[in-house]
Amino acid sequence: MKMSISKSINRTDAKGKIWGETPYLGDIAFDNPLYVKTVRSNQSHARISAIHIPTLPEGYWVIDKSHIPGKNYMKTVVSDHPILAEDEVLYIGQPILLVAGPDREKVYGLSKEIRIDYEPLPAVYTLEESEKQGMVFTDYTLSKGNPVEAFSQAEKILQDEYSTGLQEHVYLEPQGMAAEFKEDTVFVYGSMQCPFYVEEALTEALNMPADKIRVIQTTTGGAFGGKEEFPSLIACHVAIATCVTGHPVILIYDRDEDILSTTKRHPSLVRYKVGLDKNNTLTVLDIDILYNAGAYAGISPVVLQRGIFSSTNVYNFQHIRVRGRNFRTHTVPSGAFRGFGAPQSIFAMEMLMHNIAISLGLEPIDFKMKHCLKQGDTSCTGGKIHDKIILPELLERALTLSEYRKKIQTHKPFTGIGLSLFLHGCGFTGNGEQTIRGKIILQKKGKDVLIKVSSVEMGQGADTILRKIVAHTLELPIHHVQCEVRDTGLIPDSGPTVASRTVMIVGGLLQKAAEEMKSRWDTEENLEISKVYHHPDFLVWDNDTFTGNAYPTYSWGVNVAEVAIDPISYAIQVKKITAVYDVGRAIDERTLRGQMEGGIVQGMGWATIEVMHADEGTLVQRTLTDYKIPTSTDIPDIVCDFIENPYEFGPFGAKCAGELPFTGPAPAIAAAVSNALGIPIKELPITPEKLLEMKNDED
Amino acid sequence: MVNGYHPKDLIEALKIRAEVSCIPLAGGTDLMVQNARGTGLSPNFDKPLLFVGHLPELRHIEKKEGFLHIGPSVLLSEMLSHPFIPETFKKAISQMASPPTRNLATLGGNICNASPAGDTLPFLYAMDAELILENHAFDRRIPIEEFICGPKQTELKSDELLTDILIPTTLFPVSYYKKVGQRRGMSLTKVSFHGLAEIVDGYVEDLRMAFGSVAPTVVRSRDCENSLIGEPVSTLKSRFNEIWELYEPSIQPIDDARSTATYRKNVCYNILKDFLTHLENIKEIYNE
Repeated sequence: MKMSISKSINRTDAKGKIWGETPYLGDIAFDNPLYVKTVRSNQSHARISAIHIPTLPEGYWVIDKSHIPGKNYMKTVVSDHPILAEDEVLYIGQPILLVAGPDREKVYGLSKEIRIDYEPLPAVYTLEESEKQGMVFTDYTLSKGNPVEAFSQAEKILQDEYSTGLQEHVYLEPQGMAAEFKEDTVFVYGSMQCPFYVEEALTEALNMPADKIRVIQTTTGGAFGGKEEFPSLIACHVAIATCVTGHPVILIYDRDEDILSTTKRHPSLVRYKVGLDKNNTLTVLDIDILYNAGAYAGISPVVLQRGIFSSTNVYNFQHIRVRGRNFRTHTVPSGAFRGFGAPQSIFAMEMLMHNIAISLGLEPIDFKMKHCLKQGDTSCTGGKIHDKIILPELLERALTLSEYRKKIQTHKPFTGIGLSLFLHGCGFTGNGEQTIRGKIILQKKGKDVLIKVSSVEMGQGADTILRKIVAHTLELPIHHVQCEVRDTGLIPDSGPTVASRTVMIVGGLLQKAAEEMKSRWDTEENLEISKVYHHPDFLVWDNDTFTGNAYPTYSWGVNVAEVAIDPISYAIQVKKITAVYDVGRAIDERTLRGQMEGGIVQGMGWATIEVMHADEGTLVQRTLTDYKIPTSTDIPDIVCDFIENPYEFGPFGAKCAGELPFTGPAPAIAAAVSNALGIPIKELPITPEKLLEMKNDED
Repeated sequence: MVNGYHPKDLIEALKIRAEVSCIPLAGGTDLMVQNARGTGLSPNFDKPLLFVGHLPELRHIEKKEGFLHIGPSVLLSEMLSHPFIPETFKKAISQMASPPTRNLATLGGNICNASPAGDTLPFLYAMDAELILENHAFDRRIPIEEFICGPKQTELKSDELLTDILIPTTLFPVSYYKKVGQRRGMSLTKVSFHGLAEIVDGYVEDLRMAFGSVAPTVVRSRDCENSLIGEPVSTLKSRFNEIWELYEPSIQPIDDARSTATYRKNVCYNILKDFLTHLENIKEIYNE
């Protein structure tokens, strides 16, 4: 009998990484390489009036916008970020020039000697100020039912407001790229999530056809969305530098430069006007979502879409109007980050539900469950939920495991317990999967099988999981199944490694290919099977009106957080998180748990200690000395459980898992803090500074 | 390139110190970070380095004539496992940085770095610790309070080295340590406090209170302490606001990347209140 797919195996990448044998970009040797240093804007908003470059020693270059063979923008959703600044800079840290040369010391010295004259322009730093000035990038509205009429019939109307702050990815390996010219082809190597995004950006920047460009992913030490669109920018930098100099070039950020200049999670502001009927049921919601996109729009429209489509979370409301807007500020651009706009709007919704329940004297669980989606209901975009919803079972398991009902009755002062319900839309938003049409190739050579996909291993376990899906289907030992190097010259485009789509979409295609391969295994020595993704027919989506199934399906979760607050310092200690999830089915329990525990810790960091803010466009927390992520001593007890709910179109029933765990901790911790101190929490991060101020204001 | 001297003993080190303008480096856990320049580049020191971490004369922990002597090059991790180091001091040290950093960082380094957030300093101030500074010809003895004159500023002369740290072996039956950081491990201090007391028959016999990270140097209000010595412990609670008024002016925190002045001041208030109103109940008695 075959073993369950869920039974854990060793991660195929673990040994090399633990022993320090696996090479990263910085370990690769190039022939006579040049080192590249970026010269950046020190102004939030200014016109460049003059650039003074010192006399360059032989073999040293300064590269500017005029060296770009193609278009001077980084190709992404909105291609508005110049590769190197034109006449204007819009944020502190914006790349203006590149200095290249063989000696790092000299390159560094030259980059310091370059002087840039600016004429300052008016700058806008906050979401509120940007709204006042109407600096809007994107303005979306969706509605369901008849909100206007519903408000006129509401018994009670409430208004409320929630906000969240910046967050830095802090992947272990900072951003980096290298490039070299070989014959007539540009080779670009680096740490990335999306080799074909990088390739596309390079074709436009270099004005070269894709077949003259090879993008090769090097071992990627963490990404969390930070290596979704940003690497395209520095890939353009190194590719242009290699074209100009004729040498291999290396550009690796150090941590402080990475913090200063790379994308962050969108700060958010969510405003509610809601109506309740006489039974205290929420009948109508007007949700106004504002995201701070920073200086350029970039990928923000899609982040905002996920934000608004997730804004009603696990709840079914009859009448809704959701407006979502991205605003420009003269700060470092916001970008993709685990959860992709959903954690912000879900935090706001969970706290709204919690705070309304408390203000009505109701137990938040009962109030929340009364509004929960059921199979057959429609989402806020009017898409029918086809799959079975087991949220009540998840909740019951979480309540039992955490002893929530007992603890909420008996908690001591300065300790608290709180709960969150949440979901994550699996795969690309809207008809994204239909547009990408991810393609995979499975090759058989004798007894060995090769997986060809562009979905990358970035520390999350993708290689192990994809190989396991194929090996399990073919009933082969896993070492007979390998993954091809993510080299755009050798692999098909299975899509970017984003949106928690790798297992469900790409893994699903691999499973189908492996099943076909199995039926032909004995008769064919060598075999190549390719598969292209097709959306299930019953899913509908209209991208102009934002109606239909915003996602193929959803994964679900319940978190219970227990906190203790220090009565002297008001420091929050998260003591325990109980988490129960429906991710369809686990492909590998331990790897899945790794994702869940990592997501919980990262979500806890966002909710509590990860304080980052800018003072007039200058980040105040610029190093890891001042920007804190949780350490092993901060990690709470984590009880993590799963209830199987197989998805028909996922491999072995698997849905999405990577981003889901990030979303739950913040609202659960906020509810627990609120429970401990008896004050409503409406803002992330929840800092001791703010708590102490709130308590002092109370006294 | 950075040049360095690696003397074989203290005599040689002091000779170099007399002849060359140089930067003494023991563990380097502060200096390397302060002078780091980024990927692939060596740190940028404007003077040659004088390595002192290995010098045998600076690595002692011993008791002599009423003092605990600690060599400045003793590692924080060595102090944590040494029986002579008071438990309450260990409590502070165990919350500093991380195990790898504590395996490099030295007590002398924490003193000479003279950061307002240096976590060994409140205890040393509270204990009236003294330092021995030596040059090739003389040595002098100076209270730690006089040695540290501001953030990153000390009385160490360019030909001197810190060669000994003297802590009176006075026993304090009551000890209290609190560090407030952004997180539980590897965190620079927002506020820290070391309180020591001896209570005899319900009266304050001796009392020491030192705050870190709330002023340019560690704060210890001797006026406040002296005003409480001889007082009955039972009255401290009702007199707390009066005591706070005496203490408060010396607490001058700032807003920075880690916290706010208001928060720091409020936490100082809470800590002092917690310490003084629980003096009778605090049972953290350390053993010699």
